[in-house]
Amino acid sequence: MNPRVGFAGLSHLGLVSAAALASRGVPVVAFDPDPAAVAAISRGDLPVVEPGLPELVASPTRPVFTADAADLRACDVVYLSLDVATDDAGQSDLEPFRRLIDIVWPQVGADATLVVLSQVPPGFTRELARARMTASPRPGALYGQVETLIFGRAVERALHPERYMVGCADPSRPLPPAYAHLLELFGCPVLRMRYESAELAKISINFFLVSSLSTTNMLAEVCEHVGADWDEIAPALRLDARIGPKAYLGPGLGFGGGNLGRDLETIKRMSDERGTDTRIIDAWRINSTYRRDWALRLLRSDVFERIPDASLAVWGLAYKQHTASTKNSPSVALLDAMGERSISAYDPAAELPARLRARVTIASDPLSACKDADVLLVMTPWPDFRDIALDRVAAAMRGRTIIDPNGVLDAGRAAAVGFAHYRLGASSVN
Amino acid sequence: MLLGAHGFLAARLRTALQDARMSVHAIGARDIDLAAAGAADALQAQLKEGDSIVFLSAITPDKGKGIDTLMTNLRMAEQVCAALARVRPGHVVYISSDAVYRDTEPFIDELGPADSPSLYGTMHALRERMMMATLGSGTPLAILRPTLIFGPGDTHNSYGANRFMRAAVTDRRISLFGEGEEQRDHVFVDDMIRLLQAVVERRSAGVLNVVTGQSISFGDLARKVAAIAGDVAVEGKPRAAGPILHRHYDATALFRSFPDFQFTPRDEALARAWRGYAQPA
Repeated sequence: MNPRVGFAGLSHLGLVSAAALASRGVPVVAFDPDPAAVAAISRGDLPVVEPGLPELVASPTRPVFTADAADLRACDVVYLSLDVATDDAGQSDLEPFRRLIDIVWPQVGADATLVVLSQVPPGFTRELARARMTASPRPGALYGQVETLIFGRAVERALHPERYMVGCADPSRPLPPAYAHLLELFGCPVLRMRYESAELAKISINFFLVSSLSTTNMLAEVCEHVGADWDEIAPALRLDARIGPKAYLGPGLGFGGGNLGRDLETIKRMSDERGTDTRIIDAWRINSTYRRDWALRLLRSDVFERIPDASLAVWGLAYKQHTASTKNSPSVALLDAMGERSISAYDPAAELPARLRARVTIASDPLSACKDADVLLVMTPWPDFRDIALDRVAAAMRGRTIIDPNGVLDAGRAAAVGFAHYRLGASSVN
Repeated sequence: MLLGAHGFLAARLRTALQDARMSVHAIGARDIDLAAAGAADALQAQLKEGDSIVFLSAITPDKGKGIDTLMTNLRMAEQVCAALARVRPGHVVYISSDAVYRDTEPFIDELGPADSPSLYGTMHALRERMMMATLGSGTPLAILRPTLIFGPGDTHNSYGANRFMRAAVTDRRISLFGEGEEQRDHVFVDDMIRLLQAVVERRSAGVLNVVTGQSISFGDLARKVAAIAGDVAVEGKPRAAGPILHRHYDATALFRSFPDFQFTPRDEALARAWRGYAQPA
């Protein structure tokens, strides 16, 4: 028989995780202390854009959503699942999560297993166990489970995890049966480790991603200057067993969002306190910001000199596809640096930040954004953009320049209808 | 208030600001010898609280490269800082130089260390710190670090567009070190003045490299000058042994700080500069 499971905190992480577990037939209570948020989710008005999530939340096996923490009392396992927000410097704000724990802790049954799923820094779970267990001892244990949510692929990742990393007070002891049963439902390896290792494992994964991305971006720029094409090089790297077929080898406009930046900041701060050489983090950050502005430099060097008052069409505002988040978005950073010129933008999900609304016109569809534009910039690689006929784009535009960092549009087809096409990792195609 | 009245930049900036209907007072070496004891008192007497001050005065390497020049330049800054400390200005602009960066640094932005071992670069770096220490956070301070500036009226004649144009006028022949392989960024003086004017008008603060972000080899630059001038030869000559050092800049900070500022395209800037050299006013 399936255990009863609770989730506390229904932001991105909690909502996706609760819905994914419920889809496996597990009875799930999904709690958030904000009644308005719960009501919105219950009627299908979700706070995040995530492929597959609306279907899961609308399915017959969806979680029971509640704003009453007492509903968690009957649960055998309760996940603390609120996303930990970060500021612009990548610093975590743990206070909302601590307040949630204050609400949930007294409501959970004494024998229930509590699992920290949120993005907490190394040492957090041990400290939580020490503080809470001392104040109110309970037989049910506290664990930390590493989340590896990817914006835009969160449901897929939650339904088909590669492995579970579980932080334990004592990794040599078996997991509580109810919790172990839940993990086994997904048929992937379960790695037990001490709390601190689990917390650092998540950060370590992100460090390797940043490392790959930064290396890729640096080499992609070299490609742009020497006539090589990174798209030809990457497949060769993927066939190298030391690099791997799924390595992060796609050049991009730095690392957007907040999670990678948060982890860099966490390790930077901890290492500064302890005296570890982390200058490589500085180099990654500098390179990320530098590559974020790739399109800005290109406009300055290749377009604005020819057409000083060039008008722009911008496809995509979100920091990546399949999300409405514009946090650290290269597109928004570009718009911030465009001054007083005509700009029309379109994004299927993200909204324009308020500070830009006086300067940027929002179009109802991609082709409308292109009307009379001198340059089209494809700043977010939404797959839908790939299917838009380039001859219609050409007919709508005045100019013949496409800046498409992620190579969403086909360079050959763009050239065939007269566009100069620029993408990361390659010389321009005219 | 311009500290520096007769230099390459000062005279042009004065005209530009006056054309923008600003009240401009320029102080040259003939008015106040900034390196002299008591210069601070004389300067203080001319300053008013809330003034915008552009500090351009410096003895450049073509007039001296030794420790005596370094110390004279620092004394000038000492006197200026003493005056600024007594009169609370509204805005200060210090014209530094990209010489604050190491010659061996091939890719530069404002995050790079200003730790050039050259005395001239050290002088500007020290002056920057003196200004920062004097003004603290109470007065906006803009520090501009221009790279090679070209245009008619230049008095330095350092290797680059200015020397090439002079040579084209006088010798019909441009000489390069080696084949002129080294790549550098070059800024047209009119662009420098426009940017400086924008900094003054907006009371901008912070450190900014004045660079286009597009480097070109001295050889290619010389050939562009020769093409504009017509009937001018470009010749290489043996260079001293040693590595060829290039210098590239990331101009993103400038692009972000001044979104509507656009550099004059290089060919057009060279053509305009050439007209100034070929037909001096």
